[in-house]
Amino acid sequence: MIAYVTRRLLHAIPVLLGISILVFMLFHVVGGNPVYRMLGKNADAEEIARMTHQLGLDRPVWAQYLHYLASLAHGDFGRSWETKQRISTMLAEGFWPSLSLAVPSFMIASVLAVLISMLAVLYRYRKADRILVVLSVLGMSLSILAFIIGAQFLLAYRYDLFPISGYENGFRGLPYLALPMLIWVANQLGGDVRYYRSVLLEEINREYVVTARARGLSKGQAMYRHVLPNALIPIITRLVMGIPLLFTGSLLLENFFGIPGLGNMSVNALNASDFPVIEAMTLFGSALYIAANIIGDVLYAVFDPRVKLS
Amino acid sequence: MSAASNIPLEGAEPLAAAGPRTGTTEPRSPRRSSWGKLLRDKSAMAALAVILVYVVVALLAMSHLIARHYQEALGTAYVPPSRQFLLGTDLLGRSVLQRVVHGTRIALAVGFVSTGIAIPIGVLFGLLSGFYRKRVDGFIVWFYTTVDSIPYILLVLALALVMGKGLVAVCIALGITSWVGACRVVRGEVIKQKELEYVQAARAMGAGGGRILFRHILPNVMHLVLIQASLVFVDAVKSEVILSYLGVGVQGEPSWGVMIDDARIELIGRGAWWQFVSATTAMFVLLLAFNVFNDALRDALDPKFKTK
Amino acid sequence: MSQAPRNTRVSVPRGRSLWTREARASRETAVSSLLTALCAALADYAPVAVLGTTLLLCIGCTPSRKHLGNVFRAPLGSNLKTLDPAQASDQYSNQCQFQVYETLFEYKYLSRPYDIQPCLAARPPEISPDGKTYVIHMRPGVEFQDDVCFPGGKGRLVTARDFVYSIKRMCDVRVKTFGWWIFDGKVVGLDEFRKKSEALPPYPEQWHPALYDEDLPGLRALDDSTVQIMLIQPYPYFKDILAMPYAAIIPHEAVEYYGEEFLNHAVGTGPYKLTEWRHGLRLVFDRNPKYHHGFYPTEGAASDSAAGLLADAGKPLPFIDRIVFTIFEETQPMWLNFLRGNLDRSTIPKDNYGDAVLPSKSLRSEYESKGIELVQAKDLDVFYVCFNLEDPILGKHKMLRQAMSLAYDAKQVIELFANGRGITAQSPIPPGLFGYDSTFAGPYGHYDLEAAKALLSKAGFPGGQGLPEFEFLTMTGSDLRQQGEHFAQCMARIGIKIKVSIFTWPEYLDRLKRKQTQIMRAAWSADYPDPENFLQLLYGPNASPGENNANYRNPEYDSLYRVMAVIPDSPERLKVVRRMQELLAEDCPWIYSYHRINETLRYQWLKNHVPHAVLDAPIKYYRIDAEARRGYLGG
Repeated sequence: MIAYVTRRLLHAIPVLLGISILVFMLFHVVGGNPVYRMLGKNADAEEIARMTHQLGLDRPVWAQYLHYLASLAHGDFGRSWETKQRISTMLAEGFWPSLSLAVPSFMIASVLAVLISMLAVLYRYRKADRILVVLSVLGMSLSILAFIIGAQFLLAYRYDLFPISGYENGFRGLPYLALPMLIWVANQLGGDVRYYRSVLLEEINREYVVTARARGLSKGQAMYRHVLPNALIPIITRLVMGIPLLFTGSLLLENFFGIPGLGNMSVNALNASDFPVIEAMTLFGSALYIAANIIGDVLYAVFDPRVKLS
Repeated sequence: MSAASNIPLEGAEPLAAAGPRTGTTEPRSPRRSSWGKLLRDKSAMAALAVILVYVVVALLAMSHLIARHYQEALGTAYVPPSRQFLLGTDLLGRSVLQRVVHGTRIALAVGFVSTGIAIPIGVLFGLLSGFYRKRVDGFIVWFYTTVDSIPYILLVLALALVMGKGLVAVCIALGITSWVGACRVVRGEVIKQKELEYVQAARAMGAGGGRILFRHILPNVMHLVLIQASLVFVDAVKSEVILSYLGVGVQGEPSWGVMIDDARIELIGRGAWWQFVSATTAMFVLLLAFNVFNDALRDALDPKFKTK
Repeated sequence: MSQAPRNTRVSVPRGRSLWTREARASRETAVSSLLTALCAALADYAPVAVLGTTLLLCIGCTPSRKHLGNVFRAPLGSNLKTLDPAQASDQYSNQCQFQVYETLFEYKYLSRPYDIQPCLAARPPEISPDGKTYVIHMRPGVEFQDDVCFPGGKGRLVTARDFVYSIKRMCDVRVKTFGWWIFDGKVVGLDEFRKKSEALPPYPEQWHPALYDEDLPGLRALDDSTVQIMLIQPYPYFKDILAMPYAAIIPHEAVEYYGEEFLNHAVGTGPYKLTEWRHGLRLVFDRNPKYHHGFYPTEGAASDSAAGLLADAGKPLPFIDRIVFTIFEETQPMWLNFLRGNLDRSTIPKDNYGDAVLPSKSLRSEYESKGIELVQAKDLDVFYVCFNLEDPILGKHKMLRQAMSLAYDAKQVIELFANGRGITAQSPIPPGLFGYDSTFAGPYGHYDLEAAKALLSKAGFPGGQGLPEFEFLTMTGSDLRQQGEHFAQCMARIGIKIKVSIFTWPEYLDRLKRKQTQIMRAAWSADYPDPENFLQLLYGPNASPGENNANYRNPEYDSLYRVMAVIPDSPERLKVVRRMQELLAEDCPWIYSYHRINETLRYQWLKNHVPHAVLDAPIKYYRIDAEARRGYLGG
């Protein structure tokens, strides 16, 4: 097991390097010259040249890359162009608020989606199922903005069920997080139900299930004895794939509900072309994704007896 | 805005990875009967008809036969739906109907162009990777793992910024970020197909690698490619909305994303719901049609899906 | 999933339900059986579970209205960048640093036209007859707030040397301030100092280099309580500059102690001190117990005393114990929070305007009964469309620009995008400043489609023929994009094609500075209440990368500017300013849009609240009627 995880970690290194090259190139090409913004009003050509030199932007690209890699290795993402804050601090500050919104919402939504799709599959090709398909596509095509604007206005303001926006640390933050969580769940359900429904449908049509049913298992029994366990792998896949979305998925939610998380930070950085921050977010997200993959693979091994960790 | 949308809906990859679960390994069944099955599927045909209507509308809009005045102030600001303006007007007094129609053109253009870019790249890489294995495979797997590990939306944004925004940039950005799914699926399938008798036979008869790949294997993985293509299409249409909201989308033209962005605050502040509802509905119907068609396509073409 | 090589490692049993036979043992692990049982149970009760979860979430989520105390709660429109006054170039940073830091002079709160009074200075500056030498005496006995950066944690007395240090630090190249232009070329020896600072080692070495201790001829502390400043030319608005946040007095101990993190801390002499700054969420300021030198103004117009604004005359400041700024990135949550009574003051988001304010410009009665009041004030700003005169076509054809100016419907812009809250502009100078003349109107400053078409033909482009598509630069934001589309719509009426390009602020700035522009949307807000601040936007030597982004060069205008900049307000200055406005009206380097009228909403319990065009948040003058607030909000 340990050997397997270690090997997977080693496999991750070339991928991480590839990402750093890709990201660096992208942002270097996109980057433009940050100097104008740093100097603002009435900067003359000489000042601009000096600052360009100070920031090392006049060095060859490969030298800049190596420098960049070296600082990354020290966990130093530099400072934001826009806010001048240390990016590692920004990431650390934003991580928990994001997580406390994303993880519970994601879990609730996933469990609900599996349950709903189980029902859909049990009643497959009937009217209820068809309505569900339409509903989930509707959920997929409704912009999350509609959910946010509508829910904030109606549930929080008009009916006063939730605070309008805000955030607190720890459990005191729960009231503030409840509504964004609800919206998250509503928004995630559409796509998830679509996915899990087709996964379960695929399983339930297999011969062994048909056989099991012939042997006298009830629908529900067949579902949880055979279908669900066998569908676990694609379900885990979907869950693992969702991990990097734990912060990009909540971009707009955090903005509208004033949650000081990574999504909020990313939107601000995007609006300000704050490349160091976007770069750090991209790297951070990628690392998260790779980690999630490894976790996913280990989970497969735990849940699927056919996968051997050798 | 589930960015999870770039995940292959039918979960082909984990199944392919798990090996035998992809189902039967019998030689390809006659494809003709599959198409027949598709043609007999009423809901699939209805969905196809809807898609065709969209295509026709888009073509008409593109050739300036309809919705020519989408930029002009035809009335005053925020006229609710009426006989003169079926879907009302927006802030600048422009007809929402004409803008929705014009948006169709952009949605389909984004969908088709990015699919047209993503699928060939994905298929080519998948074929090469699955067939030659070793170094080629190693490199391609490394490459797509790398691309895939970067959060999709950030990658698209960065690319859209590099290429200077606008419709073309969005299409290209979406295209070159969404080939991974197709590549993976094709690769997995090729690895299996390679071991099958017909490939061995072709090889025994002295066919070259390229010939085997493109003449023998490619037609046998086409059904997967088709399914992937429609997934990429749907994702592209949805992503355009997010990109427009973040300000790197289509410039100077009304896409559905731009309209939803315009409409988001006026929805409550002014109660002007018509722009929002129109754009969302237009998108919903198109996505629904694609979803239904995609399901039917899979039912018909995927041999492991012998249902109904 | 990612690593495909996994394929090769998977053992491949052929079979049916893998969970039934071979793998029975592993299936029976606690985890999986628990999971399956749970799923089965939940499956039966799924609808109940959904409802239950929703209800549970709702219950207990309703916010409780706790006792508020003497707190002022205000929105902050965007994430705050810094509290370092030398770096604070945006409105929000300025609002916050203003609570902590003070300058030698400050704006009078009630006097209009805007005027200044001593703050950390003891009395008005002694200015030599040639207007070039300023001697300023410091207010005695003022101490910095207590902070760990001082020995023993006790704030010390403020001296003249602190002022000299603060200005020198601000002008140090390494600080990368946006504010250098306020002293650029004005103070004897300061430009040389800046030049020398280029040679200093970069931060974080040497927070306090020896260079700071060298005496400058034009900026000296004569003793602990006297500052002498010598100017290169007699700038009449120089004392206004000394009231700008860039000139705030900061203790060198704080800069040295906090180093690179100084931007997250604030150590000043002002009425409040920073208690909490949660990035992206809120800032909290509490009363500074060592602040004793501020008093509520005793003089004001008759209307002020009628409005009850002089009830607190002469009382010590501040009245409010705590300030909470909440950061809102979107307008909807800010608006809803205000209506709910969670904020004491708010602006009116554009799209909620129609909902809140009736066409008669009075507040909807539903809101009035909640205790909300509407406050109007003219802002010192100008919104405009700027041509790049270095563009070969736009620069060469004056008549083309004039035609475009005539085709631009500024009144409609005010209606659509400012809800009628604007005054059509005819020159860069906004109402409320010296030189503004409401009767002045340029020959091309109105909307006249026929005249525009005629002029376009005369320029050689009848119906827009022969003209390429022009690019209109604007920034991200639905609102700004729509304004761009409106501009395109206007120009389409005379046959000119416009492509709207949207950029983020830094990209936009980059294009501007490189002169890679044709037409752009722009706005300017006063740094200090002098027409010079607006007229310099078109001064030839200020061309990009300076602030003259039109790259307008007119020798007559430039020479008039140089005269105008150094003479005090007088009929003579008025004449010069008038001539400059006429030149601009003829040359049309800009299409004038409007001067904004700022409308703020506040609750009745917020007292002493007067909009001020230069000060964004003079909270030290505000008072909260806590009794009234409790009455409205309960709790």
